[in-house]
Amino acid sequence: MQIRLTVNGEERVVETTATTRLLDLLRTDLKLTGTKEGCGKGECGACTVLLNGQLVASCLLLAPQADRAEIITIEGIGSAEGLDPIQESYLEAGAVQCGFCTPGMILASKKLLEENPRPTVEEIRRGLSGNLCRCTGYHKIIAAVRLSAQKMADKGEGKDE
Amino acid sequence: MKRKLAGKQGNRPLISGRDSNGYFLPESLAEAVNLLGQAGEGLKVLAGGTDLLVDLYERLIEVEGWLDLGLIPELREIKVRAEQIEIGAMVTHAQLEKSENIKKTLPVLAAAAAEIGSPQIRNRGTIGGNVVTASPAGDLLAPLIAYNAVLELVGKDGVSRVPAGDFFCGPKQTIMKRGQLLSRVLIPRPSSGTIGCWIKIGKRKALVIASISLALVVRLAKGGVIADIRACFGAVAPTPLEIKAVRRLAGGKRLEQLDFSQVGELAAAGIAPIDDLRGTAAYRRNVARELLIQALEKVQSTGGEIIADQADC
Amino acid sequence: MNERIIGKNLVKVDARAKVTGRALYPDDLYFAEMLYVKVKRAVHPHAILRKLEISRAQQLPGVVKIITAADYPELNNFGLIIKDQPVLVGIGEKMRYLGDALAIVVAESKEAAGQALAQIRVEVEELEVIDDPRRAMEEQAPLLHPDGNILCRHQLNKGELERGLAAADLIIEQEYKTNRVEQLPLQPEAGVCVYDQETGVLKLWVATQWLHDTQADIAQALGIPPERVRIIQPVIGGAFGKREDISVHIHLALAALATRRPVKLTYTREESMITQSKRHPMIIRAKSGATRDGYLTAWQVEIIGDTGAYASSGPAVVHKGLYHCTGPYNVENVRGIAYTVYTNNTYSGAMRGFGATQLAFAYESQIDILAHRLRIDPARFRYQNAYRPGSSTPNGQVLTDSVNVRETIKEAVQMSNWPGGVEL
Repeated sequence: MQIRLTVNGEERVVETTATTRLLDLLRTDLKLTGTKEGCGKGECGACTVLLNGQLVASCLLLAPQADRAEIITIEGIGSAEGLDPIQESYLEAGAVQCGFCTPGMILASKKLLEENPRPTVEEIRRGLSGNLCRCTGYHKIIAAVRLSAQKMADKGEGKDE
Repeated sequence: MKRKLAGKQGNRPLISGRDSNGYFLPESLAEAVNLLGQAGEGLKVLAGGTDLLVDLYERLIEVEGWLDLGLIPELREIKVRAEQIEIGAMVTHAQLEKSENIKKTLPVLAAAAAEIGSPQIRNRGTIGGNVVTASPAGDLLAPLIAYNAVLELVGKDGVSRVPAGDFFCGPKQTIMKRGQLLSRVLIPRPSSGTIGCWIKIGKRKALVIASISLALVVRLAKGGVIADIRACFGAVAPTPLEIKAVRRLAGGKRLEQLDFSQVGELAAAGIAPIDDLRGTAAYRRNVARELLIQALEKVQSTGGEIIADQADC
Repeated sequence: MNERIIGKNLVKVDARAKVTGRALYPDDLYFAEMLYVKVKRAVHPHAILRKLEISRAQQLPGVVKIITAADYPELNNFGLIIKDQPVLVGIGEKMRYLGDALAIVVAESKEAAGQALAQIRVEVEELEVIDDPRRAMEEQAPLLHPDGNILCRHQLNKGELERGLAAADLIIEQEYKTNRVEQLPLQPEAGVCVYDQETGVLKLWVATQWLHDTQADIAQALGIPPERVRIIQPVIGGAFGKREDISVHIHLALAALATRRPVKLTYTREESMITQSKRHPMIIRAKSGATRDGYLTAWQVEIIGDTGAYASSGPAVVHKGLYHCTGPYNVENVRGIAYTVYTNNTYSGAMRGFGATQLAFAYESQIDILAHRLRIDPARFRYQNAYRPGSSTPNGQVLTDSVNVRETIKEAVQMSNWPGGVEL
């Protein structure tokens, strides 16, 4: 079957099957390999993407469930000119170790900060609770989210609270 | 099997014919029921997919086609009426968690929804999926029984309604017949003076199947007399379970007249737990007793305030 | 000292690629004409392979090649310390755990490879499954490997145990058991192999913790010189000890050699858990003696480390555990023995702490019990027995520098407002 979806702002038409996971469609058909597979069962969050603005595990979606959807993957964060403040913060806070959880963490952070520009530590933990970091670098990841909130507030992007 | 060329618009998924798996996207409940009626066992009803797809990946189910309920608008609605709250089967846990109406009228349900899985899971998983999957540990089930929810089933023979407490018959087993769909969950609007508590015990705070959970809903009449009390546990028996003895013991009394330890003993005695990965039967009996005592203390101490509690362990 | 670097936070060299999703992990690599590999695993934890029927699987659409031991009779075993692990189990040979490989399927897609796996028929002669190392150590237990189920024994003697026990006012003896633990790096094992037909070199993009040992082990297993194996370390995706062992490497090399096309193999999480190493479960029996005023006089341990079906790092891990049997506490009289034992469990190997971790559970519990029975504050008990400069470890190493455990305890007691406010 054919599905049509918008990925990182670009419209894509993909020939797929009813049992293809959205994760495989992104990684194999569209070669967007920034989205990772850690468990294949929705437990680790490495495959997190935004689907119509919602945080989802792309391993737990079939390709046709994403028909006509708007998807943002890690490749859609930041721009050619520069990094998103969240990406910058992850660099500066040393929140990146093996990096396999990082794309999912950044998307979860983005969603969290969109809804809640000044989260408490407890709210950050909850916002990232679907994403595992097996290097166990959680303190620095939380620091990175706090730094992101600060940067976004400084840039006046966090005024819609 | 009849293949469905879905939708009026050309960009809907088209079943190409080269694909051995059908994919059906009905736009109305009637259409869905019709499709399901024509199909065999291999057509799986797809709600949020957070349980069903894992079963598929683990080869626990054989799938010949999908009936995706995602495009049926009425299944996505929460309606608050004077007498009851109506929740469409495709309402997600995130919707329940965030809905001001649900938080206000059915806080124990909202609290349970807020602790399911993770943000990613809550955005996809649905109340209908949770009910029909019928895991003894399904987080919404004990709250639904505690709130006297009624489940609306739709099939080609019409609509039927069944109390949530009569719906489950074993682990992953329900009274639903082939060809039926769960369309809505109907919950009598709790009267003022209804208070409650949700406690889930698990090995982590997120992405955890409950080792044991408790939904306690107490309706107080004038003068603080208990008009109704429902203590419902998850993960303690083959189905979610109400300890009816609590109703018999506590009904007509005031909270401060109760010996909470005695009530707790009813829970320990009334459950039928097993030993599994998440805890032994003995552990669950001990914890069931303590949870009920804790929940009663909280309900009493907050004097009608609703509390939802994620227990640390 | 370089003032531009010391004391400054530096951005890791690959962090920018990681936050933008451009970092390439092995499963992110794609080559033209690339094939996908899946491995048929053992169907029983302890059995003799009698029949392997691949013809139906071979005929499925998309299946390019199915490799079995019969195709490569010259393959050598591999392993980090002891070469005891077969690349493929042949007819008449034993599978020793559920991760043993019976056949390698190479196909045009992952799906086709997966369907082929399901069509491979296996017949086995089942043997007794040994999941308890104590059963493995019994005289009449079936042998998992020709030289016996006890892979190695390590011993330790310091001072005179009997004298230490005689000097003790209190002696306690307890048994401790620790669990098998999965390292769980977030990226499951994955790799890509390209065979360069002109030079005869196998290029492998596989994450490993032992670049050169991995290269040498692959080469010796295949019977080719090491210069024909080139390991290119991609972005790793976590390791924690689990990437010390060979995983996808040799199977990828065989698939590339057999098909002359680029090949990729990525484990599922389940496969990773069943197939690759774990932290050793240990049974630790500890006997400890102390004087009435709370000084340790004697310590005796027996350690049984379940190394599973293959040695991996087992001998070194269990041996290290033995050396750490008294933790950071000074004991003059120590005797210990450690057994590294084969079972039919998933093999155990390296994981953060490398054997020392398991022993901590035993010695810290012993210390707590002794302190409690002697009515001495446990912090005080630890402080007065902790190593100081000049103390020697159970294996006789005299500690001279950086012996700060007493200062650490002191600070921890202060910072944690330890009830009772121990005077140290």
